[in-house]
Amino acid sequence: MAYPTAMWDVIGLWTGWVLMLMIYSYPLYKENPVYRTAEYMFIGMMLAINVVTNFSNVVRICITPMMGGDFLMIVPLILGIMIYTMLIPEYRWVSRYPVALLVGAGFGLGIRGTIAPNIQDAIISTITAPSDGGMMAWINFLYIAVGLICSMMYFLLTFEHTGPLKAPTRIGRLFIMIALGAYFGNTVLFRFTMLTGRAQFFLQVLKLIPM
Amino acid sequence: MSFTAKLANIDRRVFYWILFIALMVPFLSPIGFPLSVAENTRDLYDGITGDNVEPGDVWIINFGYGVSAWSECHPGVTVCTKALFREDAKIIFMGPHYDVHLTYNKLQTTAAADFAGKVYGEDYVFLGYITGGEAAITQLASDMRSVYPNDYFGTDLDDIPMMADVNGWRDIDGVLSSDTGDWGSYFLRQWQGPHGTRLAQIGIAMLGSTGIPLWLAGNYFGMSVGSRGGAELEILINELGEATTSMDSISVSHLLIVIAVILANIGVLTERRES
Repeated sequence: MAYPTAMWDVIGLWTGWVLMLMIYSYPLYKENPVYRTAEYMFIGMMLAINVVTNFSNVVRICITPMMGGDFLMIVPLILGIMIYTMLIPEYRWVSRYPVALLVGAGFGLGIRGTIAPNIQDAIISTITAPSDGGMMAWINFLYIAVGLICSMMYFLLTFEHTGPLKAPTRIGRLFIMIALGAYFGNTVLFRFTMLTGRAQFFLQVLKLIPM
Repeated sequence: MSFTAKLANIDRRVFYWILFIALMVPFLSPIGFPLSVAENTRDLYDGITGDNVEPGDVWIINFGYGVSAWSECHPGVTVCTKALFREDAKIIFMGPHYDVHLTYNKLQTTAAADFAGKVYGEDYVFLGYITGGEAAITQLASDMRSVYPNDYFGTDLDDIPMMADVNGWRDIDGVLSSDTGDWGSYFLRQWQGPHGTRLAQIGIAMLGSTGIPLWLAGNYFGMSVGSRGGAELEILINELGEATTSMDSISVSHLLIVIAVILANIGVLTERRES
């Protein structure tokens, strides 16, 4: 990708660069009017894009087919409008019906699809001994098996975690801490990759590295 | 004041400045840390190349990431697009972010040479923004036209040649979902689980912990984790690009974090001993 030459592209690039620095003035310096300006601009633009995109989507999926004779599309349209009654305190109860429908549908769809991949396949994968991969595959298999059993025992709350339950529940707690640590670590590192992307952009705009 | 107390009292902005500057240095002067290819990434690449893809197969690439996650997801998506095009597969692009058209435009530049030989509407199509979460993905499996009556440019799906016989999961040979969030899970629960559609994820680093077990269980035929996964894919296709360039910088950031964590722990332990 080459450095843009068209005037509006160059202006866009530099606007992005300046806005990025305005946002970074908060962590690198302190909260200030420049940061606030950029923050408000960002929120305002995102909100505007959000409204326009979703409205266009409703027109495309619902209103246009309805105008073309698909009158059943009136149902989701009315349900959608009903959600906005939550903004009027005396009619807020009306919004509960579409929300209930959304929650019910979401829950039903989630349950339908969860059992096979997230539960059944996961269990089969965990209890199936490795057929190849050598010693490392077996170590991983045992590590996962011990981790799974001990972590599940940690949530065995009907018995006090003493006696024979003491050791496995402690190990389970350790596994849970490791898992949460890995998850948190990955989360932090994702943010740093985003920062890396910005550092790259910073240098690219200044033409210090190729675009 | 002890050394650890001094360390604890350093303004956090000092660390931010060090980090911001340290991240830039490897771009100006590449270090060239070695990079190996993980098995999950290799599985992803193998799954979209060779005998696993027939000419004319129709694949979905879901841009489940916005502009902010380009550095994490886009290199992987670029490689996968190139690989599928080179196998003469047809691709449907779509995404649940408002800025999905910006990602599509970027892909046109990052995989420009491969797009050059393809015809819009015959080899690929851009459906644009999708909303409605899991319900929309479910509907997409049974009746694509109810979710997308037309493509991003307003052309009726029936008027697009490659979409003539495509309207649901039966007509799709595979899905690549590139995610910062839950969209891969929606395809997993509504496409891979009930219908057995081939599914892989090009996720951000954060999704590695939850995605790898799904790859191990065979639900994902492959998985690329973060920009590291993107760099691995660039190695596999033998075209080093954006992710490979940024890997040094990412490694430096990780190293700084590890050093900061070690220093913080030394500080806490020393203070505890002193008190």
